[in-house]
Amino acid sequence: MVNRREFLVGGLSLAAGLAIGGAAVASLKPTEEVVTTPQEKEYLKAGWIYVGPVGDKGWTYAHDLGRKYAEERLDFLETIYIESVQEKDADRYIDELVEEGCDVIFTTSYGYMDATIEAGKRYPDRIFMHCSGFKRSENVGTYFIRMYQPYYLNGLIAGAVTKSNKLGYVAAFPIPEVVRHINAFHLGAREMNPDVETYVVWIYSWFDPDAARSAAETLIGQGIDVLAFTEDTSTVVEVAEENGVFSFGHYTDMSMYGPNAHLSGQIANWGVIYEDVLIRAYTGVWYSKDYWWGFAEGAVDIAPMNKYVPSDVKALVEERKALMAEWTFEPFTGPIYDRDGNLQVPDGERASHDHLWNMMYFLPGIVGELPTT
Amino acid sequence: MFEDIALFLEVSLSAGSVLLLAALGEIVAERSGILNLGVEGMMSTGALAAFYISLMTQNPYLGIIVGGLSGLLLSLAHAFTSVTLKANQILSGLGLAILGIGLSGFFGKPVIGMIAPSLDIIAIPLLSDIPFVGVILFRQDILTYFSLISALVLGYIIYYTKLGLVLRTVGENPEAADYMGINVDLVRYIAIMIGGLFAGLAGAQLSLVHLPTWIENMTAGRGWIALALVIFSLWNPMLAPFASTFFGALSILPYYLQIFGFRVGTGLLATIPYLGTVLSMTLISMSRFRKYLGAPAALARPYIRGEKELYK
Repeated sequence: MVNRREFLVGGLSLAAGLAIGGAAVASLKPTEEVVTTPQEKEYLKAGWIYVGPVGDKGWTYAHDLGRKYAEERLDFLETIYIESVQEKDADRYIDELVEEGCDVIFTTSYGYMDATIEAGKRYPDRIFMHCSGFKRSENVGTYFIRMYQPYYLNGLIAGAVTKSNKLGYVAAFPIPEVVRHINAFHLGAREMNPDVETYVVWIYSWFDPDAARSAAETLIGQGIDVLAFTEDTSTVVEVAEENGVFSFGHYTDMSMYGPNAHLSGQIANWGVIYEDVLIRAYTGVWYSKDYWWGFAEGAVDIAPMNKYVPSDVKALVEERKALMAEWTFEPFTGPIYDRDGNLQVPDGERASHDHLWNMMYFLPGIVGELPTT
Repeated sequence: MFEDIALFLEVSLSAGSVLLLAALGEIVAERSGILNLGVEGMMSTGALAAFYISLMTQNPYLGIIVGGLSGLLLSLAHAFTSVTLKANQILSGLGLAILGIGLSGFFGKPVIGMIAPSLDIIAIPLLSDIPFVGVILFRQDILTYFSLISALVLGYIIYYTKLGLVLRTVGENPEAADYMGINVDLVRYIAIMIGGLFAGLAGAQLSLVHLPTWIENMTAGRGWIALALVIFSLWNPMLAPFASTFFGALSILPYYLQIFGFRVGTGLLATIPYLGTVLSMTLISMSRFRKYLGAPAALARPYIRGEKELYK
């Protein structure tokens, strides 16, 4: 039994804990920051909604670099952002950005898709851009980057550098985007070294450093000497450095987490898309469409290759990169068979936009299950 | 095959050692009759403090010390409410957990994603060359070694010294301890502080070894799992390393099974440690089971001289 005094004092201490802790949490997220206030009247205001903190060094950090890039280049632009917005709260914060007077609003997580479409109906005079989704309307456009292109180039490096012929891949969720990245990486590796196998481990999370660490350590324990990943932390690079194996960064240059391990990596340049959208919005020529930009538009890149990448491989990577920028080379060019032997892309053809966006098969030589739901 | 198993156990041990440190501290506290549910909060604070100091001074060892002390400092709040004010320990502990997570999330905001010097793996010469055992036990970081040694030392103190007898008496029968002239409140204060110190160290291990960075909510429920470990090790520090390694193994099993091609629901497997926690928390809140498992008889019961009858 609990007596009354005990209960009262305990209740008070719980309440105090809740109040202080709760206040700290409340003031913590999501925070809002006004970045600039230009003096001219003729300006355009753009707002961003981020799913993570801008300091995550991954997905949100890359988007924020893009925001800064656009702001630096466009003198008519004022920007504002709200970070760490949970997907269920998206509509509330979109309203807030509209109240703040934003003319263009970027929502940067797949989970904001329906909220963005709904907001488009509520505010027909504003422009909305949703990242990574497929639903569009009169005033809601979509954008994404061809991340598979740098993954392919990183695959070339991995295939050339591996000694055990075993590559590892720490992957967030079995969805077409991630499957496309894994296949592109493996495609590049197989081109350099037909004996390469790529081991895939799913961690079922975008942001779980501990799961990423366990998965990476497990892969290294199986003799894997080059790691790639699609999730939002730098953990895999750190684990690779600790264990003396190689890795690639994702979204931003992660070489500071593993100066030796970090062979290269995939870089996102969201800024060029933001600049294009905002110029169009400012000059009144924006219309709703899907941006899917890659090397050709400068929306993706690879991180600087470190000293462990052989110079002939460096030259090949640079050459392929230049060809992709002119659209004279595309990794997913037929014939492409899946690992069950079915022809997926006929000889000489390039995989179409829809094919790439619905890719749910593995190429031969990829080890691990591909759960389909 | 042997190598695979050794490697699996090595990773399990290191994955479980964060839990081990926190569980050892909680065992000491619970042995004195104090249930401190605030482990998650103290760990979170310890993780941030350790990371912050390591970042500022570039000295991870200083980070360990400050991390431990910050856990200790926070535990004093629980000591004050539960020992001095004789408050309900469950409520006070929950408050502490929320307070610690909130405070560390708030003050940690500026350093999210930064890199601090981390602790290296120390392979002990000669011993680490022993096949199997050497790989598992002697290629770990300093805090894992510390946690294993602590398990032995605390086990010895609790079962074989007068100090341990005093601690156990306070936890089993504070009235008797009081008659014998033992200062019950003082013993409980010290036990809670030891619990806080270890929880802080567990946090330090998390942010300096496990994931050498700071992110919000990085404890991810480990403090609660540590509470379950206390029960699984039957309040015996020497059993705790086995329980923690078992939980560590559970947490990495999904990834191993994927590589070896087992088609199992990995998401489901990952929930096992948490299910175990829920189960054991249910058991410990039923007084009949508590006695059966060998819990300290006065666990979670404030001691007020002369008011014994109120709690029966």
